[in-house]
Amino acid sequence: MLKKTAPLLSSAALALALGTVSASADIMVGVLVPDSGPAGLFGPSTRNSAALAAEQINASGGINGEQIELVFADVGVPPAEAAQAALRLWKGEGVKAFVGMHDSAVREALIGRFNGQVPYVYTAVYEGKSCADGLYVTGETPSQQLEPVIPFLAEKEGVSKWYLIGHDYNWPRDTNALAKGYIADAGGEVVGEEYVPFTVSEFDSSLQRIKESGADAVLVTLVGGGSVGFNVSFAGFGLDDQAIRLGTLIEENTLAGIGADNANRLYSSSGYFASIETDMAASFAADYSKTFGSDAPALNGLGQSAYEGLMLLAALANKAGSLDVAAMDAAAEGTTWSTPRGENTLTGRHMAQTIYLADGSGGAFNVVASFDNVASSEACSN
Amino acid sequence: MAYQIGLYLIYGIAAQGIGFLWGKTGVLPLGQSLFFGIAAYVTAITLKVDGNLFLNLVLAAMVLALIAGVAFVLATLVFRGRNESGPYFSLITLALVMIAEQVAGTATSLTGGFNGMSGFNSLGDLDPFGNFYYVIVAATVAVSLLLFILNRLPINLIAKAVLDNEPRMQLLGFPTHMIKGAAFAFSAMIAAMAGGLFASHQGIVTPTSTGFALSAEMVILTAVGGRFHVLGPLIGAVIVGWASAELRGSFPYWELLMALVFILVVLKAPGGIAELLEAAFRRVWPKTPTPLTPSVVAPPTRSGTRPAPLRFEDVQLKIGVVRILNGVSFETPATGIVSVIGPNGAGKTSALNTITGNLNVTGGRIMLGEVRIDSRPPHNALGNGIGRKLQVPSVFFSLSVSENLAIAMMAGRLRMADLFRTTPLQWRSRSLSRVLNNPSVPLKNELTDPVQHLPQGHRQFLEYAMTVAAEPSVLLLDEPCAGLSPDETALMTELVRVYQIETAGLVIIIEHDMSIVEAISDKVLVLHLGQVLAFDDYKKIRDNPDVQAVYAGGTK
Amino acid sequence: MSSVLLLNLAWQISTLALVALGLAIVFGKLRIMNMAHGEFVMIGAYAPVITSMLGLPGWLQLPVCLATVGFVAFVLERTIIRHLYGRMFDSLLATWGIAILLREIVELVFGRGYQSVSPPLTGTFSVLGADYPAYRIAVIIGIVLGFIGLYLWNTRSKVATQIKAMVGNPELAEAIGIDTARLSAGAFVFGCCTAGVAGLILAPTVRIEPMMGLDYLIRSFFALVVGGLGSLEGLGIGAGIIAGTQTFLGAVASQTYGYLAVLTLSILFLWLKPNGVRSSSH
Repeated sequence: MLKKTAPLLSSAALALALGTVSASADIMVGVLVPDSGPAGLFGPSTRNSAALAAEQINASGGINGEQIELVFADVGVPPAEAAQAALRLWKGEGVKAFVGMHDSAVREALIGRFNGQVPYVYTAVYEGKSCADGLYVTGETPSQQLEPVIPFLAEKEGVSKWYLIGHDYNWPRDTNALAKGYIADAGGEVVGEEYVPFTVSEFDSSLQRIKESGADAVLVTLVGGGSVGFNVSFAGFGLDDQAIRLGTLIEENTLAGIGADNANRLYSSSGYFASIETDMAASFAADYSKTFGSDAPALNGLGQSAYEGLMLLAALANKAGSLDVAAMDAAAEGTTWSTPRGENTLTGRHMAQTIYLADGSGGAFNVVASFDNVASSEACSN
Repeated sequence: MAYQIGLYLIYGIAAQGIGFLWGKTGVLPLGQSLFFGIAAYVTAITLKVDGNLFLNLVLAAMVLALIAGVAFVLATLVFRGRNESGPYFSLITLALVMIAEQVAGTATSLTGGFNGMSGFNSLGDLDPFGNFYYVIVAATVAVSLLLFILNRLPINLIAKAVLDNEPRMQLLGFPTHMIKGAAFAFSAMIAAMAGGLFASHQGIVTPTSTGFALSAEMVILTAVGGRFHVLGPLIGAVIVGWASAELRGSFPYWELLMALVFILVVLKAPGGIAELLEAAFRRVWPKTPTPLTPSVVAPPTRSGTRPAPLRFEDVQLKIGVVRILNGVSFETPATGIVSVIGPNGAGKTSALNTITGNLNVTGGRIMLGEVRIDSRPPHNALGNGIGRKLQVPSVFFSLSVSENLAIAMMAGRLRMADLFRTTPLQWRSRSLSRVLNNPSVPLKNELTDPVQHLPQGHRQFLEYAMTVAAEPSVLLLDEPCAGLSPDETALMTELVRVYQIETAGLVIIIEHDMSIVEAISDKVLVLHLGQVLAFDDYKKIRDNPDVQAVYAGGTK
Repeated sequence: MSSVLLLNLAWQISTLALVALGLAIVFGKLRIMNMAHGEFVMIGAYAPVITSMLGLPGWLQLPVCLATVGFVAFVLERTIIRHLYGRMFDSLLATWGIAILLREIVELVFGRGYQSVSPPLTGTFSVLGADYPAYRIAVIIGIVLGFIGLYLWNTRSKVATQIKAMVGNPELAEAIGIDTARLSAGAFVFGCCTAGVAGLILAPTVRIEPMMGLDYLIRSFFALVVGGLGSLEGLGIGAGIIAGTQTFLGAVASQTYGYLAVLTLSILFLWLKPNGVRSSSH
């Protein structure tokens, strides 16, 4: 019954299992996870994924021959407190590099705090436009999630009239700004665009507008609970017959909340799904359930991104030969490494990766297409 | 440690502002991060545009003044015409902060939206965790010192009195809505200052800085730390902040524990950590209460306007569908004692309420000499020379007798500049000394006692003494002898008579006891069913058949 | 005005009235500013999750909801709330703590993730020329009937009169033999149970997770202060104004404007008409 304690206990078990390793650890890596706040849902899967990554990095020789040890901090709090927590790890505990899965406001605060003095891998899906010394991004940006996917769906489903709905903040607005271009390129049109406050949980009037607009496709950039509420009502009004839905942040937990009944023709675009069937993904999922138990928090793109981030850190630091920001920045371009997501390349400090499109009909993601080596349109230079 | 404690001190400063407002005046602000956040954004914009220290400081002063001004106007408008601080004001501040958070998140071009505004250096280009830390410490010390000084000034006592008994403060001539407005403005200014420090310290401002969650958090810090003590909110902010940083990552039940502690504090220790600490401290070094020592001759009162006749002209008063006063007309002489009698429900107390402005007339008018006095706020009554003692003794129950008297001495005498001097706390007028020195008046042996422990009779004398302290030329007394022993009754009527002779003013007294009425009245006004039944001297009233008919009807 | 907009208005207003009903009792009658009100809605919404977890049949959802919410409310009343009668600001603070407590406990038991509940009625129904979810139509009708029943009970029942007496003058009520402690506890538990039932009814149409309660709290409070405390008519009017403004502006302008308008309207009412449109306090 106590679902929150179970993952903590299993993390503790893992830490004990790794006890011999961490005793000889030479490098401490700070992992910034949302334990509380709106993204608190992703805390446990993020911690677990990061722990698996550390285990594998150490097993294959660590970073430049030195073993790593993870130190976690909760950054599911406002930016000021999150920056404070990161600072504690950096100045207080001597952490040498950071991997963070959190929102953009926290990222901006951390960039200001780190000021290019410590390597920092940001792993969450985000809107792009972030460049700084020592910052490397594994998270999917809108261009990656949409550029290949919109034309694919336009052809597969024969849709052309898009309605854009998102929460009223930077990520949805920036995503939709790009989406409009891709829709036009695919010969479609935008029949409506709307942003709702985080505080609004009723979507009736939006649904009415979607219905009246005659849209046959809806791009959903609502996040978390808002996305669940919207999609539940969407199906309740029978709109799933009228239009397909494409979300760029609908992962396994959100889909579970939407429910099988309400997920008809609901697509999601992401760099990771638990149901990807590559060898590396399958062995990752097997390790995950072996280490944390079969009722461990569900794997999902956000949580798994911490694994990607640590793997990038290791690959890049090994290539550069040190954790020095200047050396890493110089070595960054063209770094390649493979993970459960596929073959990845660092271009413009962003991760070119495989993008998967999955159909959530029936309540489980079924990958219907994958697009290899999709580079982000974001490009940070040295 | 410095990099951690800086942020807690900033929150602590804002919480000190909340503590001042909430602990002293009882007004609970749920939207303090409105001011915190606006100041933070303005600071961020300023630092982005220009790093000139002098310019920034001038601008900061202007912004603080502006925020204080807006907060004052806002609170004064909301509190005007009311004599309590119910939840409506708290809910308004809550709604305001929700609007601010939404606007900050939506107006991306101005505020950077959800991701916030960043990319600026701290004020004076100091290292946020080096030298700027000392700026924060200096600000904390300065705010604390300021609050400690305020505690010794009349403002402190006035604020406490407003919380204790706002209607009484209004009758003593204090514009309570402006006092609460000023307290709110002061707390807003402190929050704004903290917000400015925050922006400069953090280098980023996001909508959460002006959000509801931060507001609630600051209230919790204040409550846990202790809202009645200057340092309480600071202690709360540092302890909770530090414990949260230490435990949040490792102890999964942290928020559960915090919620339980908070509930316990509200239920069992409303004074928070500070009060517990102080109680422990006082066990070792006990504090003996010292009465305020009145040693300064009070300046002349402003309420002693020239005696004038009081005239009701066809006064109507309707509340809902009920007609309370139904065309009351009479004119008193300029000096003398007028008794008001009549059966229960005749409208006696309501008539006094229309004179003091506690009730607005719905028709007709009330004149004092040539001045129209009806339907103006009660706090202006004393300015018209009208003092009033209420039916049930209305004094400041949580304060001591000497503090009650000190407040009364300030009534009608205090000027703006006096708020910032300690001497008003020691004021004593000659006429009040005479009342207190009357060997039969009981109060002088219980000056340090809290009023709530006083017997009823003593409270009557206290309220009487407080009412006449301002030396009003029109004194309204509502059953001053209720609950008094025969000796005390004689004393009270004697005091009233002497007061009237000394001031040559007008005394209007509601009284049921006919022997008292007979003894002191120059004229008697009989009210019945909201109308004047008779207005004459005592003998003629006694022989008036209409009056006899009403009183023979049964009710005393 | 399109028929869908009309139906949306009916849905929003009736569900807000239902959600706010419990708060109207607890805040309006007992003067407890219950910041944990939304958490009782949340617990009610978890009732179907509990029944399916325990493998119980669907018709037990309502009894399970009432038992769970009622038990939690009763325990809280006996341990915490009873100390707070007559201390309005303290009640606000303590119940804020209770809200956090309940969220954390639900998170411990059910986890942080979203839950999903299927409606007992699926499909859409054609009303006034518009396709509208059948479940919503059934709920609207149910709420309207429920409120009519409550109105009749309120005007005739002895308990309702006793509550009125207790609110008007607790000492006097005590003196004439009303057990105010029991009555208060009963009213609190009843108020919380209506919130729980609201949660149960809304469950198939909303997201279900430990933090969902906040959505319902603020709107309920504003509906009450706008409508005026203490009367069912006031509750209806308040819900109509708040939900109506949000829905109407959300339809013709945008949800953001609707939200800001609701807040602005609430400020104006709190400032200029703190007793609401209808108030029984005079």
